[in-house]
Amino acid sequence: MSASSATSLSPAKRYIRIGEDNQPWITGFRCPDCASVAIDQTMACRQCFSRNAAIEFRASETGRVHTFTEVRRSYPGVAVPFLSVVVDLDDGLCLKGTLCEASLDTVKAGMRVQMIFDDAGGASDAKGNPYVGYHFLPLSGAEQ
Amino acid sequence: MSDVYVVGADLIKFGRYPDRTPAQLGAEATLLALDDAGLNIGDVGALYAASTFNAASMIAQQILFQIGQTGIPCVNVSNACAAGATAFREAFIAVKSGLYDVVVAVGAEKNPAGMLSAGNSEGPPPEGLFGSGTMPALFAEAGVIHSAKYGTTMEQFAKVSVKNHHHSTMNPKAMYQKETPLDEVMASEMIAWPLTKLMCSVNVDGAAATVLVSARKAKELGLGRAVRVRGSALASDPWESRNGVLMNTNSVTRLAVATAYEMAGVGPEDLNLVELHDCFATAELLHYENLGLCGEGEAGALIDSGDTALGGRIPVNVSGGLLSKGHPIGATGVANIVEIVMHLRGEAGARQVAGARLGLAHVLGFGVGVGAAGVHILEKA
Repeated sequence: MSASSATSLSPAKRYIRIGEDNQPWITGFRCPDCASVAIDQTMACRQCFSRNAAIEFRASETGRVHTFTEVRRSYPGVAVPFLSVVVDLDDGLCLKGTLCEASLDTVKAGMRVQMIFDDAGGASDAKGNPYVGYHFLPLSGAEQ
Repeated sequence: MSDVYVVGADLIKFGRYPDRTPAQLGAEATLLALDDAGLNIGDVGALYAASTFNAASMIAQQILFQIGQTGIPCVNVSNACAAGATAFREAFIAVKSGLYDVVVAVGAEKNPAGMLSAGNSEGPPPEGLFGSGTMPALFAEAGVIHSAKYGTTMEQFAKVSVKNHHHSTMNPKAMYQKETPLDEVMASEMIAWPLTKLMCSVNVDGAAATVLVSARKAKELGLGRAVRVRGSALASDPWESRNGVLMNTNSVTRLAVATAYEMAGVGPEDLNLVELHDCFATAELLHYENLGLCGEGEAGALIDSGDTALGGRIPVNVSGGLLSKGHPIGATGVANIVEIVMHLRGEAGARQVAGARLGLAHVLGFGVGVGAAGVHILEKA
């Protein structure tokens, strides 16, 4: 990500935050009463109903695959195949994403993955600002 | 409070009706159910109409526009794939309360064409960039959780399709009456692993209707073919840490079925047949455990045993299920109740479950990150 201020970056998801240095991160919300975490900022805690303001935190960018599928047919125009994964991040947040550099033969429930921020397929928002997205890569060897 | 009986139940053949409106399909099913009960629209005190994609057009009133504008209260229900069960339950509550003696619950749908999703989100089109939001992908992912935990195989999931397609050969109102052997199911187009095309429900148009009456009215009409509603439950998805990202097929179903069993005072061991929400082949195996038809992790063994096929210990989806009878979203939850009623009356023809006295109908609906499940338990009166 360049620090150029000519264009500003646009988060492709509501839970992606972009700092002044153009460095993105994933934000989560933790209930101050029951400690449950979520990527959605809701009006009260969905678990304990507390209305005390949730505490925003910067999410871990590593986690484990909870489940997956290889999509072979999707909506018209969507490139297939790709691996769709549901990932439990190390701090308890759960995110869906695409797993790259892996195949149906290598992806496993429980495998360690790393989140990588990307340009969301090169898409831009209505103002022409480039989107920031993410995908997952397998973590291997010592990185696990 | 009155006991509630179903005295009329029928459906139109599921298929494609490009020249007819959802309301016309619903009106036809309503007339069939009223004829079955020996009643007419003038006898009906309230109408509950489910149509997830058409409720906003006041489909209940549109149905009355077709068959008789009697001025009765109409309730239009959209609740994803649980809409039909929701309408039936509201009809049940209306009679149970004593407010009405005769009500109709109808479901009618013309599905949008193509692959359904659980809704879109912000930003660029997310499909492929952020995994998949297609329904086949969501239910593939649900199945993979079971596979990872218990070793359930693609072949075991595929056997669900073989069974339900076989059942539908005996149901003239199913979309398809065609055997699909295991090798054909396994070899059909892969949509989202492990789900092939033949392991995905059929996107069709359809309508089904039921007439619900009070005990007093049932006795007046004669109890010979009446079916009593023993349990009715509707649940919304309870909190879980992955909610909003991973749609959990299990917890919402378990919540609904526990309530229904408690109300009915029965357990899974008492059931003679089940119509459950086999929107995808993976889902049927998950629901074996969710509904208590087998123990945790035993669903693969249960499909292998043949016990959920017609003639087995607990036949499941003898109508052909959503996989082969078809899945007109808002009509599905009424149609599976109609199927149970047919069996309890001994009128299910070639697919009749012998001696059926108690049956369960289940549906599961997903919207944008949230869900619903409905369960009804019905008994021969």
